[in-house]
Amino acid sequence: MSSPRAVFALALGDFRERSRRYSFLVTLLLASYLGYLAATGKVSLRLGEYRGLYTSAWVGAMMSLITTSFLSLIGFYIVKNAVQCDRQTGVGEILASAPLSRTFYVVGKFISNLALLASIVGVIALSAVAMQLLAAEDRVIHLWALLSPFLLLSLPAMALTAALAILFETVQWLRGGFGNVAWFFLWALGLSLPRTSGIPQCDPFGLQTVFHSIMPAARASIPGYEGGFSLTFANTPIQVFRGFHWDGITWTSAEFSLRIIWFALALALVLLSAAFFDRFDPARSQSPWPSKQEVAAKVAAEILSPSYTAETATGARIHLTPLTHALHGSPCGRIFIAELRLAVKGLRWWWYAVAAGLIVAQCFAPLNVSRGLLTAAWIWPILIWSTAGTREVRFGTQQLLFSCPGILGRQLPAAWLAGVTITFLLGAGVALRLAMSGQATALLAWTAGALFVPSLALASGVWTGTSRFFEGLYTALWYVGPLNRVPGLDFTGAASGARTARFAWMYLVIAAGLLAAAFARRARQLRGI
Amino acid sequence: MELIIENVTKVYRGNVIALRDFALALGPGVLGLLGPNGAGKSTLMRILATITRPTRGRVVWNGTDIARKPDALRRVLGYLPQDFGIYPNLTAIEFLDYLAAVKGLDARSARKRIDELLALVNLTDRARRPLGGYSGGMRQRIGIAQALLNDPKLLIVDEPTAGLDPEERVRFRNLLSELSGERIVILSTHIVSDVEAVASEITLIAQGQLVTHGRPETLLSGVAGKVWEVVVPSAELSAVRQKHVVSSTTHRSDGVHARVLADAKPTPTARSLEPTLEDAYLATLGASRGMAVSGAAV
Repeated sequence: MSSPRAVFALALGDFRERSRRYSFLVTLLLASYLGYLAATGKVSLRLGEYRGLYTSAWVGAMMSLITTSFLSLIGFYIVKNAVQCDRQTGVGEILASAPLSRTFYVVGKFISNLALLASIVGVIALSAVAMQLLAAEDRVIHLWALLSPFLLLSLPAMALTAALAILFETVQWLRGGFGNVAWFFLWALGLSLPRTSGIPQCDPFGLQTVFHSIMPAARASIPGYEGGFSLTFANTPIQVFRGFHWDGITWTSAEFSLRIIWFALALALVLLSAAFFDRFDPARSQSPWPSKQEVAAKVAAEILSPSYTAETATGARIHLTPLTHALHGSPCGRIFIAELRLAVKGLRWWWYAVAAGLIVAQCFAPLNVSRGLLTAAWIWPILIWSTAGTREVRFGTQQLLFSCPGILGRQLPAAWLAGVTITFLLGAGVALRLAMSGQATALLAWTAGALFVPSLALASGVWTGTSRFFEGLYTALWYVGPLNRVPGLDFTGAASGARTARFAWMYLVIAAGLLAAAFARRARQLRGI
Repeated sequence: MELIIENVTKVYRGNVIALRDFALALGPGVLGLLGPNGAGKSTLMRILATITRPTRGRVVWNGTDIARKPDALRRVLGYLPQDFGIYPNLTAIEFLDYLAAVKGLDARSARKRIDELLALVNLTDRARRPLGGYSGGMRQRIGIAQALLNDPKLLIVDEPTAGLDPEERVRFRNLLSELSGERIVILSTHIVSDVEAVASEITLIAQGQLVTHGRPETLLSGVAGKVWEVVVPSAELSAVRQKHVVSSTTHRSDGVHARVLADAKPTPTARSLEPTLEDAYLATLGASRGMAVSGAAV
């Protein structure tokens, strides 16, 4: 098979496999919903207090910016499983035995990632056309003005996202939950790059391109306009400035070249990924410091040697003691301890050292600093929380567990309680301080947060079967809420002010709802439906 | 102790029928479940293990419908699925202790039982190593140990000897024989010799339907006088295959010795042979597909 054909076949096969999943259909529906939100004004591109008429130029720019900004965040989590699928299904080893180079493999996977993201962009572009027609503020469709931002802004950004997803999958330490968390911060950095770097061209999402194109037209036609430009999720009133006229982005050769450069950067990242790709060879993915599993594998290889087997395999007949009344003693506590042990198993000493440091610091720092430390403490166990409800899928133990009695009544609550315990422990310093200073409402808010986080993790895990969803969602929520102290979204309660009790009860209700959702889903799984 | 499968049908999405009106009543002993790939064996195992529910029909354990009250069976069920996973960071002891807790064993009984089971599956010396470093055969033995944790009354094992070396396979067969006294053991496999060694009853399943059920002797008596050894030149072997069901061939200096299933003596020089369970399996399966033992299409 020639290499281009092999790359095409690999990309097509992978695209077919992933696009036929139920989750992808849900993603497309969500993309359509995003179009609906924009059409109903819940997401909008604003020029201060105004917006332009829904012309092809305005709708195209707005929808492509929404796509570029948000799909690059979510899309990463959607496509970051191309290599993982091959690793889990065992198809990877078959491919590795074929005459397919590492470079062609990652290029094939990149094309598949890009095709998946591009199909979502396509759905949003179609909904943009529908949106303009339904809004009926300007019925004339100018295809180039409407679609060119999708082609020249969204697609290069998607290429970058697709390439980074491949890079994260091939670099061993970025492959797991750490990479999922790190992506959020990298994405946030990408959004602010033109401002922080002071170089307008450092703009992977194309926000500056649209900004610099709209600004002159806005200043020329809107009296008193002071330069506000934002993409917002809000239902606040917005005025349509009918006199605003803008023909869309003028694609100069410089702009065009800039977008090509971002696309080329994506390709360079793909080629870089090939250097890190282990070609499904476990020996190549070893770090300089072997993990417990790798040490165990080495030991297993030693004990499987013929001399060892010969010495021990001829054991005498073993007697199994019949179990009489051993069953159903008081196993709830045992399951909880077993789940807790399972949750923290494999953590390195430095994880515990940092956790202990955070708890101790919370106890002795001034209370306002201590609550800041709580923010750090409640992101630290994210990779533990995110395994709740997903371990059975990830490690293939569903059949073993689901054929046991009392899974719904004992095992799932134990898994949740293990998460709650970890959350309580990590935030124990602040809880202690609040209790000692008699701040009952703040303590209630802390409790609500401590119950909300593991409930969100469990519900996400049981419903999606993957830890990526929670890792992405929680990181975003943590960034906006506790870190940036947005009232209502800060589930620790530190930013809630006078509304602390109200938000605390809200999070308690949400936690209960999430827990109920987790149980409902698991009950359905146990019924084999 | 009784497990009754009442006209169970399982239909998957896309109207794929995996089981069709399957009915069987089982008492203590080892049931060997044989059938070709895609026959519906694993679906039946999953239904019996309460992993999935039948679309129609029901499975009754000691008078209780297991779809309505699955825990009634789960308390006394040991299940080794065909494909299962482990938690790679846990040691064998920790993993078995975790499952023991989930299955409802108290700590003291669990510890004793785990020690015995690890010795039984010859993993005592590796018991404190993380499972992530185990070979496929060692993982399979952990799977066998977990299925026996709660001293099950119903033991369902799906392809249990896959990945085991010959010595471990023999150990496992012996174990199944010893366990079968006061419990129902259902052994699903492709390996006829495993069934031959331990099964007190055999069920043959094909295309989701029960083909036959009975004692091994009954199945064997069905092909008595119908198994022949035919010696032919290599070039003529394909002609023999077209006419008859050939269960095995051996190349020797005088030609190919073919083990042929046929109602009547296939060639004048053919020699009658003692039937094996594999012969009975192939003959019954051929008949269920509309093929007479003689090989002629019906």
